[in-house]
Amino acid sequence: MLKRLEEILQNGLDKIEQTDDLNVLQDIRRELTGKKGELTEVLKSLGTLDPEMRKSVGMKANEIKQIFADRIKEREVEIAANASVIDEELDLTLPGKAIEEGALHPITQMCDDLNDAFLSMGFEIFNEDDISSEQFAFDNLNFPPDHPARQSMDTYWLEGTEDKRGNDRLCLRPHLTGGSVRYLLKYGAPARFVYPGRVYRNETTDARHERAFYQYEALIVDRDVTFASGKVMINTILEKVFGRKIRTRMREGFFPFTEPGYEIDMECQVCGGKGCRVCGHSGWIEVMPGGVIHPNVLRSANLDPEEWTGFYVNIGLDRLVMMRYGVDDVRLFHSADLRFLKQFK
Amino acid sequence: MKVSLNWLKKYIDLPVDLTPEQIAYDLTMRTVEVDNIEYTAAKYHDIIVGKVVNMWKHPNADTLNICITDIGDGEPKQIICGGSNLYEGEKVVVCKPGAEVYWHGEDKMVEIKETKMRGQYSYGMICAPSEVFLEDFFPVEDKERGICDLSDVDCYVGQPIAELIGMDDVVLEIENKSLTNRPDMWGHYGIARELAAIYDLEVKPLPECDLDVKSLKEYPVEILSPDRCPRYMALEIGNVYVKDSPTWMKAALYNGGMRPINAIVDITNYVMMAVGQPEHAFDRTHVEGEKIVVRTAKQGEKLLLLNDDFLELTDDDLVICDAVDAMALAGIRGGKKDSILPETTGVLLEIANFTAPGLRRTENRYGEKTDASMRYEKGVDTERVNLGLAMSVQLFKEFYPECEFVAYGDNYVEKTERAVIKVPQQFLDDRLGKVIPRETIEQILRKLEYDVTFEDGVYTCVAPIDRSTGDVSMKDDVLGDLARILSYDSFEPTPMKMRFEHAVNQPDWNLQRGLREYLAFRCGFNEIFTYPWIDEKFINAAEIDKTDAVKLATPPAPELAYVRQSLVPGCIEAVAKNLRYFDTFKIFEMAQCFEVGEYHPSTQAECLPAHRMMLTGAVVSKDARDAFFTVKGAAEGMVRTCQMEGYEFKQVQKPSWADSKVWLNLVLNGEIVGSIGLLKVSAMNAAGIKRVQVGVFEINVDMLKPLPSRDNVFQHLPLYPLVEQDLSVLVDESVKWGDIKESLKYMVKDIEFIEEYRGKQIPAGKKSLMFRVWIGDDKGTMNAKQIDKKMGGIIKILQKQHRASLREE
Repeated sequence: MLKRLEEILQNGLDKIEQTDDLNVLQDIRRELTGKKGELTEVLKSLGTLDPEMRKSVGMKANEIKQIFADRIKEREVEIAANASVIDEELDLTLPGKAIEEGALHPITQMCDDLNDAFLSMGFEIFNEDDISSEQFAFDNLNFPPDHPARQSMDTYWLEGTEDKRGNDRLCLRPHLTGGSVRYLLKYGAPARFVYPGRVYRNETTDARHERAFYQYEALIVDRDVTFASGKVMINTILEKVFGRKIRTRMREGFFPFTEPGYEIDMECQVCGGKGCRVCGHSGWIEVMPGGVIHPNVLRSANLDPEEWTGFYVNIGLDRLVMMRYGVDDVRLFHSADLRFLKQFK
Repeated sequence: MKVSLNWLKKYIDLPVDLTPEQIAYDLTMRTVEVDNIEYTAAKYHDIIVGKVVNMWKHPNADTLNICITDIGDGEPKQIICGGSNLYEGEKVVVCKPGAEVYWHGEDKMVEIKETKMRGQYSYGMICAPSEVFLEDFFPVEDKERGICDLSDVDCYVGQPIAELIGMDDVVLEIENKSLTNRPDMWGHYGIARELAAIYDLEVKPLPECDLDVKSLKEYPVEILSPDRCPRYMALEIGNVYVKDSPTWMKAALYNGGMRPINAIVDITNYVMMAVGQPEHAFDRTHVEGEKIVVRTAKQGEKLLLLNDDFLELTDDDLVICDAVDAMALAGIRGGKKDSILPETTGVLLEIANFTAPGLRRTENRYGEKTDASMRYEKGVDTERVNLGLAMSVQLFKEFYPECEFVAYGDNYVEKTERAVIKVPQQFLDDRLGKVIPRETIEQILRKLEYDVTFEDGVYTCVAPIDRSTGDVSMKDDVLGDLARILSYDSFEPTPMKMRFEHAVNQPDWNLQRGLREYLAFRCGFNEIFTYPWIDEKFINAAEIDKTDAVKLATPPAPELAYVRQSLVPGCIEAVAKNLRYFDTFKIFEMAQCFEVGEYHPSTQAECLPAHRMMLTGAVVSKDARDAFFTVKGAAEGMVRTCQMEGYEFKQVQKPSWADSKVWLNLVLNGEIVGSIGLLKVSAMNAAGIKRVQVGVFEINVDMLKPLPSRDNVFQHLPLYPLVEQDLSVLVDESVKWGDIKESLKYMVKDIEFIEEYRGKQIPAGKKSLMFRVWIGDDKGTMNAKQIDKKMGGIIKILQKQHRASLREE
C-alpha cells in the first residue's frame, strides 16, 4: 500500500510540474486531492487495513496531501509569474502604433533655441516688418549713397518705387540691421534685444545661395559696454546651438554700420580645427559678422554717440542649421518639401 | 587682389623665420582676409636651364633630333626633341623626370618620365614656352614647334627656371571685399606698411622724383569738372617704343595677377600695383591739339573703342579729351584713340585723381570695372599722384635710358587734407575695456603713419593721407585701428552686466510661438516656408484679387512679380508639390503678407504697404469631411491651448478660395479674424490637385488677442456622481448640432457629440444624431426617478425644439 502511495506522490508531482496552465493546475488539484481523487480513495479504504498499517498509511497519505497542496500553491505563483495575456505568438518587431507627429521648420527650431537663450539673459525679441524703406535699410545704417547693395542687382525694390529715394523707395529688406534703428527710435536706450527674420537678396541661387534666408541679429546699446563683451554674446549663440563650448576667433571686418567691425569665425566642426575641405583647410568657418555700432547709426536713432555705444552680432540661421544637421543645399529650406521637413521632428 | 611677397620685400625687411602662412594669418586677423597662399615655384619644379652640347638627327624620325644636353648634373643627358629652332650651343629649358608640363589638348598636367622615342632613349624634355607657362617670358616666333631659346638670357646651366624668372615667390590672394574701405591697401606699399605695424618693423622710403619737372615745357591740362577731377598730371615722354619688359618686371606683374604687355603699359600697371595710383599712357601723336581736357560728356556723345564699337555716353560720365574729342572714360577705360601701338614713339602719361561717386555711377552704367576703376572707386588721395610720378620717372629712365621728358602739366584743383582727429584717452580705455599704455598706442599709430601728439589726456591724431578720403574720419576709426593691430583675439571676453529691471513679457511673440507649437506638436502639422513672391498661377487658382497687390521691380522670374497678399496660394502650391510623394498630410506657414496701404512702423515720413502676419494651413485628406473637420478641430483647440480670446464660427463672408458650401469665418468681437473651409474645386483643378480634398484655414495673427496670462478657472470636482446617458435621435437634415447643443446647455452638466449617421434605416431627408450627456445634482446622488425626470425633460426639448424622435435601439 505504501508503495502505491509513493507512486501516487510521484505521478502527482510529475503532473504538477508538467503543466503551465492555471486552469489545468486546478483540474490536477481536484484529481489529486479532491473527493474523487486517488488519495481520498486510499484514505477511504483505511478501515480495511490492519491498525499498524492503517496508522502509517494514514500518516503517509496525509503527508502526501500536504505536499501536493504546497507544491500546487508554489506552482500557481510560478505560473502566474510567467504567464502572458497573449495566448498566440506576438511579433514584437512590428512597428508601434503611429503617433500623429508634426514638426516645426528646422530654422524655426533654431530660432526658438536662440530666443530661449537670449530671453534668459534679459533680451527682448523685436520684429521688424519684411518690407522696409531705403531710409531704414540703407540710409540710417551709414551705407554710402552709391553703395552697390542699393542696386536692383542686389536688392528687391518694389515696383513703382525703384527710382525714388530714401523713405519713398521700398524693398524687401536685404538684412535685419534696419530693425535696430526702428527699435531704438521706439524704445530708446539702454536696450538689449534680438530680432530674427527673413531677408531677401537678388541673387542667382545654387546649393549655397538663396534669395530668401534667415538671419538672427542681437544688439546691445548701453553707456558702458566694451566690444569685448560681444564675445560673450557670440559664445552664447554657438554654445546654445551646438550644445558645447565652441572655439571662436574674432578678426577685422568691415561693414558700413559698424566701426570697428569684425568677423567671427568658429572652429570647423567637421575637422575640429585641423583643416579640411569644408573649411578650406583653414580650420575656421566664418559664421557671423559683428561690430560696434557706427556713430552715424546711433544718430539715426536719435542717440548721442558720445553717450551711447553698443554692438551687433548677426548670424545666418540657414548656414547654422546646415552645419547643425549637415544639410548640403540651402534651397531645401524654402522647398516646402515634406520629405525634407519631416526629418526634423 | 594678389600680393607678391618678393614685391613686398622691396619695401620691408621681413624676418627670415616669418612664414607666409603666419603672414596670411596675421593679415587675416588684423587687416584683410587672405583667401589663398600660392607658391609660384611649385609649377616649375624640376624645370631647369640646359645647354645643347651636341645634336644629330634621330635615325627613325625626320622631325626629331637627339640632343646631348648639359643640365649641370654630371654627364650630359640624351634628350629627344622636335624643336624647329634647335642648334648646338643653345641654352634651353629642360624638364627633368618628375616635372609637369601642359600639353595642348590634355586637360591635366602631364608628368615627364624617362622614356624611349622611336627606339631611342630620352632622359626628359626640351620645352616650348606654352608647355611650361613661359609664353610671357620667352616668346618664340614658331608657335607650333619653337622651343625656348635662352642663349641671350643671363642664366647658368642647371639654374632652376623659377629662380631665373623670379617665380620663387609666394603670392597671397586677398579677398577684395575685405579691402573695400581701405584705398591705401590697393598697392604693395600699403600692405607693407600694414605689416610694419603688425610686426613693429620699418618700411623703406619710396623713391623721390628724380626729374626737374619745372624745367620742362608746360603741357596744357584743362579741368572743366573740378568736383570730379581734383588733380590731373600729364607727362610727355619721347623716344620710347614698344618692347618687352625685363624679366623681374614680368614676374612681378604676373604674380600680381596681370599679364605683361609691353614695357610702357607694364610701367603704368606696375606703378598702380606698387602704390595704388592708376596711370594711363596715351600715344602722344593721338592727342590732337596737344592738350588735355577733362569734362563730362555731352549726352549721346560717342567714345570709339578699340574694337570699333561705340560707347554712347551720358552727361554724367567723365571723359578725357584732347582738343577734338573724347579719348577715354576717365579712370575706367581707354578708347581706340589712346592705345599704345607698335609704331608708338612717344607717350603722354596720365597720372590723375578722380573722385569715387561719379566714377561708380559710370561703372554701374556700363557694367565696367577695371583694375584702375576698382582703385578710384575706393577714394584715392590726390598726393599719391606724386608717388606715381616718381616711380614712373625712375622706371622710364631705367627701361629707356635714351628717353626724353618733353613736357609736364599738373592741374591741381584741390588737395586731399589729412584728417585730424581728437581721441581722448578715456574714450579708448572705456571702449577697449582695458588700459593700453601710451607708448603702445603711439607706436601703433605711428607705424600706421598717423602723426600723434598727446596733451591733457587727448591724442591728436593726424591720419595718413591715403586713408583721409573717408576711411579714417572719427575717433572710432582710430579705436578700430588700435583694436585690430592689438588683435581682437587679445581681448578677453568680458561678461555683460545684468540688470533686472522688468520681466520680458511679450504676449504677441508668445502667441506666435504658441500657435506654431500647437499646430506642430498637438495637431500634427508640418511647418513649411515658402517665398513671398508667388507664382501667378496659384494666386489665380485661389482667386485672390490682385488689385491691391505689391509687385517687385525686378522679380526672380516674370511670373513671380507679385508679393504675397495671402499665404493660401503658396500653401496650394506646396500641397500640389507634395502630392507626388504623400496622399495625406498637414502643413502650415506663418509669415507676413502685404497689400497697398498706409503703414508707419517707425516714422511719419516712411510709409510702407500694409503688413499682416498670417497663419495658414492645409489638411490634405481622401475625405472632404475629414479634411474640413480636422481643420475646424485645429481652429477650435487653438484658442484654449494658445491662451487667447475665443472666436465664434459663423458664415459672414466667403473666402475666395473656399468651396461654395463648406466654409466658416472666425469672428472675434464682431470682426472676421480668419476663415476655414474646403478648397474649391476650381482652385484644385487650376493647381493640379487631384484625388484628394483639401481643408484650409487662414488666420490673421495680428488680430488675435493673446491673454496676458492664463485665464482658466479651476472647477470643483462633482461632489456626487454624474450619470452618463447616450441618446440617439432622428432629426431633419436641416437641424444643426450646434442648435441642439445650445438648447440643452442648462439641462446637462456636459454634452458630447458622438456621431452623425445616414443610411438604409434612416428615412430620406433625415439623419441620425448620437450624443452623450452627463446629468447630475449638486445636492445628492440622483435616484432612478430623478434621472428619468431629467432625461424626460431633455427628450421633451429635443422633440419640441428640434422635432426629434428617439431612435429605438
